[in-house]
Amino acid sequence: MEEVLFFVSAIGALGGAIGVVAMRNPFYSVLALIVHLFSLAALFLLLASAFVAAAQVVVYAGAVMVLYVFVVAYVGGGGESAWEPIPGQRLLAPALAIALFVELSIAILSSALLALGTEGPEVGPGFGNPEAIGKLLLEKFLIPFEASSILLLLAAIGAIVLAGRKREETA
Amino acid sequence: MLPLGEVGFAEATWIMVVKSLVIFAIIFGILPILTVVERKLIGRFQHRYGPNRVGPFGILQPLADVGKLISKESFRPANAISTLFVLGPLLPVLSGVLALAIIPWGDVQNGVGFYGIDVPIGILYFFAVGSIAFYGLVLGGWSSGSKYSLLGAMRSAAQLISYEVSMGLALLGVVMMAGSLSLVDAVHAQGQVWYIVPQFVGFLIFMLAGFAETNRTPFDMPEADAELVQGFMTEYGGMRFGSFLLVEYMEILVVSGIAAALFLGGWMGPGPSFLDPIWMLVKMFALVFVFIWVRATLPRLRYDQLMGLGWKVLLPLATLNVLVTAILVVVT
Repeated sequence: MEEVLFFVSAIGALGGAIGVVAMRNPFYSVLALIVHLFSLAALFLLLASAFVAAAQVVVYAGAVMVLYVFVVAYVGGGGESAWEPIPGQRLLAPALAIALFVELSIAILSSALLALGTEGPEVGPGFGNPEAIGKLLLEKFLIPFEASSILLLLAAIGAIVLAGRKREETA
Repeated sequence: MLPLGEVGFAEATWIMVVKSLVIFAIIFGILPILTVVERKLIGRFQHRYGPNRVGPFGILQPLADVGKLISKESFRPANAISTLFVLGPLLPVLSGVLALAIIPWGDVQNGVGFYGIDVPIGILYFFAVGSIAFYGLVLGGWSSGSKYSLLGAMRSAAQLISYEVSMGLALLGVVMMAGSLSLVDAVHAQGQVWYIVPQFVGFLIFMLAGFAETNRTPFDMPEADAELVQGFMTEYGGMRFGSFLLVEYMEILVVSGIAAALFLGGWMGPGPSFLDPIWMLVKMFALVFVFIWVRATLPRLRYDQLMGLGWKVLLPLATLNVLVTAILVVVT
């Protein structure tokens, strides 16, 4: 049963990810991304972290993707632009993609493959429940947690500043 | 059983299957009654009788309605996208049924917990499955190939984002006082005083955001019969339209259930413990009555007023409520 769920959600995650880049219509790309995110949430559930799974659905599928759907359905995809918005993009993109691939390969070969055939770590009761995660975030990882929240706050303020300036010019 | 997460109280699989069926059957029995109750009440609010022709006092009206909806043709516009058009009404039903699972109807009695499941992530689960419903509306509206549907879907998207934040923050006060996300724990924590007293601001914000999340008056912008001819539902007919309607009532029940559990003491009430589910139902129906009352009383907000209320009033108020609650919880 676990295996069935794993393969269903793994296929969903991979298929969704491929769909995002393969679909012609941007609306379908967004839908594929949503399938991908829900599959990831199912994988988190299998890893005994219900909180992370719920957070994944609430934050990504429930909030971020809503914005994506909103923009794509309202504005529409439009055609591909005839020029390169960033000069040298066609050369830079594959180079960066290869760099990312190498980086991921190193990570997978050095750690993840070693775990094949083992039972995985033992998790005690209470692992991944809201209390344990709250303690981790506010005690052990307090500084990274606060730093990322300040970063998000700055991004929100920046977005407001950018949007506000545009309105003044048009008015 | 799949080890997908911890539960507050584990039971045999067959008990859980029976529980799911019972909850499903009771709620789906209540839904048609709710439609006739709403029409009757709105009739009374407007000084008319409401439906009174089908059966004694019109109580068979929902049967007639459902019979009509089922026997109608499932029409689909020529430029609609067929698969997504069919998927549209299904997703909200799925979301509503999933959300029913965490509403607590009573405590553990004779080895059976009177709720679908008690998950430690409780309220987060409610928001997670609630986000599925949104895709139903947007897919339905977008795939209909009609501008009214698209406008309705877009309005609902903007509205849901705006009010979901306030809704979550409003519940945070209760979560901090109860010290748990689980709804069952939250009900247990209300032995002394119902949370509607210390968390009255949270309750108001939650109910207001609840009106918006269920697309009810005064926040029924996505449907707006008068200007958008039902918004994302415009092109739907027959039972597909019926399931959108069904979901609206199911969401009202779910929001009332969550509010009753978190603010009105859940199943607690005088009398022996087998009355617990009845008390829960009574509290839920009291809140459903508020939903209907508000619909009959208030006019629809303008779109900018809706956004202004959500972002400039409810969100700061909910944040302030969380801050004050946090300080009080730490001090006491």
